[in-house]
Amino acid sequence: MSFGPNPWQQLHWDERAAANFMLGGTGAGLLVAWAVSSTVTPDWQGYLLAGMACIALGLGAVWLEIGRKLRAIHVFFHPQTSWMTREAMVAVILFGFGIAALGSGLRALGIAAALVALGFVYCQGRILRASKGIPAWREPTVTAFIVTTGLAEGGGAFLAASALVGGTQLPGLAFFALAAVARVLAWSRYRARLEHGLSKRALDTLNPAGRILVQLGTIVPLVLLLAGLALPEFARTAGIFAGLAALSAGWYLKFMLVTRAAFNQGFALPKLPVRGSR
Amino acid sequence: MKNLSTVKVVEHPAKTPDAGTRKLATYCYQCVAGPDLLTVQVNGQGVATEVEPNFAAEPVHPGGGKVCVKAYGLVQKLYNPNRVRSPMKRTNPRKGRDEDPGFVPISWDEALDTVAKKLLEIRAKGLLDESGYPRVATSFGGGGTPQSYMGSFPAFLSAWGPMDMGFGSGQGVKCYHSEHLYGEFWHRGFTVSADTPYCNYNISCGANIEASGGVAGVWRHANARERGIKRVQVEPHLSVTGACSAEWVPIKPKTDPAFLFALIHVMLHEHPRERLDVDFLKRHTSSPYLVGPNGYYLRDRTTKKPLIWDAKNECAVPFDTPDIDPALEGSFDAESIEIGPDDQTLSDGDLVGEPAFSKLVAHMRPYSPEWASGICDVKADTMRRIANEYLDAAQVGATVEVDGRRLRYRPVAVTLGKTVTNGWGGYESCWARTMLAALVGALETVGGTLGTTVRLNRPLNERHKSVRKGPDGFMAYPLNPTDKEHWSAQPNIRNAYRTMVPLAGDGPWSQALGPTHFSWMFLEQTPKGLPRVTLPEVWFLYRTNPAISFWDTDGISDKMARFPFVVAFAYTRDETNHFADILLPDAVDLESLQLIRIGGSKFIEQFWEHEGFALRQPVVAPAVNARDFTDIATELAARSGLLEKYNAAINKGVVGIALKGEADGESWDFSLDTTLVHSRETIWDAVCRAASAELTGGKETHGLGWWKENGLRTRPFPRVDWYLQPTLEDMGLRFELPYQERLYRVGRELEERLHEHDMRWWDTQLAEYQTLPAWKDFPKLWEDEVGRMGGRADDYPFWLLTARSMQYAWGGNVGMQMIKEVADNIAGHQGVILNTQAAEAHGIADGDMVEIATPKASVRAKAVLRQGIRPDTLLLLGQFAHWATPYAKDFGMPSMNKLVPMSMALTDATGSGADLVRVSLKKVG
Amino acid sequence: MTRWAMIADLRRCVGCQTCTAACKHTNATPPEVQWRRVLDMEVGEYPEVQRVFVPVGCMHCADPPCMHVCPSTATKQRADGIVTIDYDLCIGCAYCAVACPYQARYKTDKPSFAYGDGPIQSEAARFDDGRIGVATKCTFCSDRVDAGLEKGLTPGIDPEASPACVNSCIAKALHFGDVEDPASNVSQLLAENQYFRMHEELGTDPGFYYLWDKKPEKAA
Repeated sequence: MSFGPNPWQQLHWDERAAANFMLGGTGAGLLVAWAVSSTVTPDWQGYLLAGMACIALGLGAVWLEIGRKLRAIHVFFHPQTSWMTREAMVAVILFGFGIAALGSGLRALGIAAALVALGFVYCQGRILRASKGIPAWREPTVTAFIVTTGLAEGGGAFLAASALVGGTQLPGLAFFALAAVARVLAWSRYRARLEHGLSKRALDTLNPAGRILVQLGTIVPLVLLLAGLALPEFARTAGIFAGLAALSAGWYLKFMLVTRAAFNQGFALPKLPVRGSR
Repeated sequence: MKNLSTVKVVEHPAKTPDAGTRKLATYCYQCVAGPDLLTVQVNGQGVATEVEPNFAAEPVHPGGGKVCVKAYGLVQKLYNPNRVRSPMKRTNPRKGRDEDPGFVPISWDEALDTVAKKLLEIRAKGLLDESGYPRVATSFGGGGTPQSYMGSFPAFLSAWGPMDMGFGSGQGVKCYHSEHLYGEFWHRGFTVSADTPYCNYNISCGANIEASGGVAGVWRHANARERGIKRVQVEPHLSVTGACSAEWVPIKPKTDPAFLFALIHVMLHEHPRERLDVDFLKRHTSSPYLVGPNGYYLRDRTTKKPLIWDAKNECAVPFDTPDIDPALEGSFDAESIEIGPDDQTLSDGDLVGEPAFSKLVAHMRPYSPEWASGICDVKADTMRRIANEYLDAAQVGATVEVDGRRLRYRPVAVTLGKTVTNGWGGYESCWARTMLAALVGALETVGGTLGTTVRLNRPLNERHKSVRKGPDGFMAYPLNPTDKEHWSAQPNIRNAYRTMVPLAGDGPWSQALGPTHFSWMFLEQTPKGLPRVTLPEVWFLYRTNPAISFWDTDGISDKMARFPFVVAFAYTRDETNHFADILLPDAVDLESLQLIRIGGSKFIEQFWEHEGFALRQPVVAPAVNARDFTDIATELAARSGLLEKYNAAINKGVVGIALKGEADGESWDFSLDTTLVHSRETIWDAVCRAASAELTGGKETHGLGWWKENGLRTRPFPRVDWYLQPTLEDMGLRFELPYQERLYRVGRELEERLHEHDMRWWDTQLAEYQTLPAWKDFPKLWEDEVGRMGGRADDYPFWLLTARSMQYAWGGNVGMQMIKEVADNIAGHQGVILNTQAAEAHGIADGDMVEIATPKASVRAKAVLRQGIRPDTLLLLGQFAHWATPYAKDFGMPSMNKLVPMSMALTDATGSGADLVRVSLKKVG
Repeated sequence: MTRWAMIADLRRCVGCQTCTAACKHTNATPPEVQWRRVLDMEVGEYPEVQRVFVPVGCMHCADPPCMHVCPSTATKQRADGIVTIDYDLCIGCAYCAVACPYQARYKTDKPSFAYGDGPIQSEAARFDDGRIGVATKCTFCSDRVDAGLEKGLTPGIDPEASPACVNSCIAKALHFGDVEDPASNVSQLLAENQYFRMHEELGTDPGFYYLWDKKPEKAA
């Protein structure tokens, strides 16, 4: 481990924690995307299950990272202030609704699960924001970015999946397009706010991922969508690739954000000591 | 405040001492700045767990009773799994770095018998070999630290007879060598310190006091900073001491004499005389002594006393004439004689003489700040400002009362560091520093520049008692003879200190303060006139690792491989005991027993207001099959037929205190029966009783049990004894400054003697014997060395330097994981420090691997980019590059020692070299 | 009300790491875990450069982000301001470690020792399995503080009641005491000197002060 004083990459949260943000956001987004399209989506259970599975896998990855796995239940002890506790609690409600929906076949319960999923991804955004030790995370606009990228990733996953299994309906397309645009706007705002608060090395790490998000994760999918609308025979392929591009760009950026650009702020001296007389 | 709640912290084993836990007092003397007084916590199972300051020592210790970081390594030192776990013998007769020694465990009996057999063989043959050198040699670690750990071994050495203690492992070359010799000559200052508690302005040329001054140094300087001292640190890289100073002056390496000369120039040529302490110069220095046409003092024909011009009566009078007004400047006629080397009368009659001070003024005239600026790469204005600040801060005329005596108050000091005080330029730097003090009367008085202890004059440790009347109104000094009758071309040991270095004296420490690299160099080829240097038949080693710590470490290792029988007191395997025949594991710090003297005034910043003794006691049983050094010494003495002499040496006080004594009408005698083998407890119990008696004037005779319980005992040491001025004044003696007539004469005599024996290889060094030292192009000597190594100077544009690491210096602790861990928090412990901008110009980024090379050797290191270093300078901290020492051999950290050539051309007249070398730098890998 | 706080006098600190070592001794922390450590910082460019040694560790913030984020309530704050970790509650999620702006928290997932896989005797004597897989940090030596108070001693004044780093400091750069008591050693130091706290802009209200100069003397 490096001991500063210049900022260095935090090593406490690794790929396993990143996986929670990647899979959790995508899972939540998938649930919301499905909910938006639920009226026109016949095989809704699959999406619900897939969304929940993503979230569960993400949480499972985190569980692998914690030091005292058998005490994982303690995660629920601090809802008063801890967004991690809240994330866990929301996840329980989400799974409650989701499992009930699957068990009962009631689509409305699934929609309730999707609404809770919005809360889940919001919690994830707040988890990062509450991490005061990491300038790239504590920037308040990170929450909007985490939420929108979750929606864009989930929208992308939904788009790709629905394109793969059948036709893509307009609500899914519209949701995806809106989420992608919202994400790029959230990213731009977040990135702009980071300009002066982040070490150069952190920015150098984040910038390429940001460019990928804008180009591969936003422009390319939207162009593909337009192409698919213009050329229906191309729509299915376009949907698959557009969705996957948006998904992977979001994943890549979050992976980098957690494991490569998470520099702490090191130490700084606003005043220098006066040694003896001046 | 919010979110407050009452919570009990959870208890856990690491913080819950068991019922049997106890704390035992002991000391740490890992480094020259010791001792630190500490307690060690031992749990109910007898396991040492924690080190803490001995808070009971706070009232008497000059460092607040605190304990240095090195002492915190002692617990790991105890339980280090890499310790030599029992005596071992070598099974592979071939020696070499690439040879596995094949050490196998043996019993203590076998080990001691093997060594004793060799010793008995030698005693039968005679102690000296065919060249007249001792057949037995010993090498100990630096700064006298081993003596605080070797128990009664000094009594064994004393009982043995002639031994060669001059195979260097750093001492004499990598110490403050010129300071030791000239410092002790001029003001009984084997080491020299600022009177930090009272000093207001300290010019520190590379003195890395925060790293090498130990607890007392750090404590006293931190207090001084808070008080408002201005310390100006003059050095090529921003050391931890530079960091803690008010100002950093990044001077070019090895140009310090020019810097200091410029300060003297400003004081002599840019200020009225009354700004100096004229009274001090007239009455307490040789400034008024008249110097004749040949450079020697004009003397009274009858008494041979040097003459002074008395301005009051306008005549020349002997220096000790009362009620005169000595003239400092002018030119005067005097009926006199001038006596040169070998008592030759050089001139006789009405001679023209100039006071030494006049000579000084003229001598320093060319050395202006503008002149020095081009040499030092320091602005002339900066030097002029520093000289003026120094003069202003000196408060010439002020006095203060100390212990009822009125002394000069001169709160200015100049301190010098390693590489400034050794090798070429060391004499000039030390002279200039001492002159800066003398000019304002700040030498050996309150707030000024002080000597700390004596090692070459007797009695050891007793500065004031060592002051005896010498010639010409100066202190006596045990110069080795240079007159025809007494000088000898037959050295007593291989480094020939007695033959070549008059200033080294001939006391117990002198062997280690000669040209200790000569013992190694001359093994290859002994220069003309000296008996062929031979291998010692037995070599004892303790707390030393010359294969790492000396010059040209590869060359040294090759020579060690030729030593026929090497006995190493060994803690772990290391690069030197790799060549040993027998390894003897001595009980380490927390396992063994010894009483040492503490207090008074001692190395570096150890100025106490108390003096006494401290005990190092076994706080745990030995963790391996190790024996206490005292027991080993006794066994060796008994098995080699020296028991009676050994016991007699102990009785005499060789281990630190005579067992028989008297004071205040009381007498005591705890002498040991010389015919018996005594246990360590018996020996140290007697020493403890004698110490108690000494401290109390015979009223108390506490034994070992009391000392184990209490750890230390002191009595007041008067602060006035920090200062030598009163003692010299009382004895009517003068400081031998500025003019070096005596040394000049000695140099000329030595030249005569050597030339009589056709020994001309020391001629360059003889030029150092000057009456007033002149600047020479010192950096060029090292640039020229590149050529001698077969390179072109331009291809080696960087200076490679080293600096002490506080965490490691002298500590013998490279095998301690915790020391490594905490030391790594300080820049430079994991690579070579280089200037950021210079590195970028070479395409080198932080963390890149670089190669540092001379024409003969190269090392690799990770680049550590820092702003606090000159662009032409590289810095390799400490001395690493271990290849055999467990744990340390995995550091991947090189040492400059492999690159520094062992060279006659780089050896100065005192027999020392300096830690610097010209190198190239390139990115690799 | 009491609030224990630490003061580091940057004018006095020499970066010797004695406090780091003393902390490791007293708290038996494993290799590379340094609840107290001293940074070696440079500010400026050659030749106008200053090198500063900066003791850091848990700042025992009044508003500690680590406590807020902790999902298990393992991190708490005592009435005297000391931020604590209950090793029996902690799940080792390290959320506190990324929430701490001072890099003061450590998590060791498996036993580690000075020399290889096994403990040396001094390590074995004090090995605490309860500290594996959980967050750890400086406690302000709260056990010493509490034990000292029970004996009527004054933390920061009496060594037995004071943090090990403070006791060990060879430059007298570290001080400990009650900042809520205007007569305390630390309150006096803060009254006499200019100081700052690390990353004060983050609003954590740290209980760790850095002295850098005397207060300017008021004109008479």
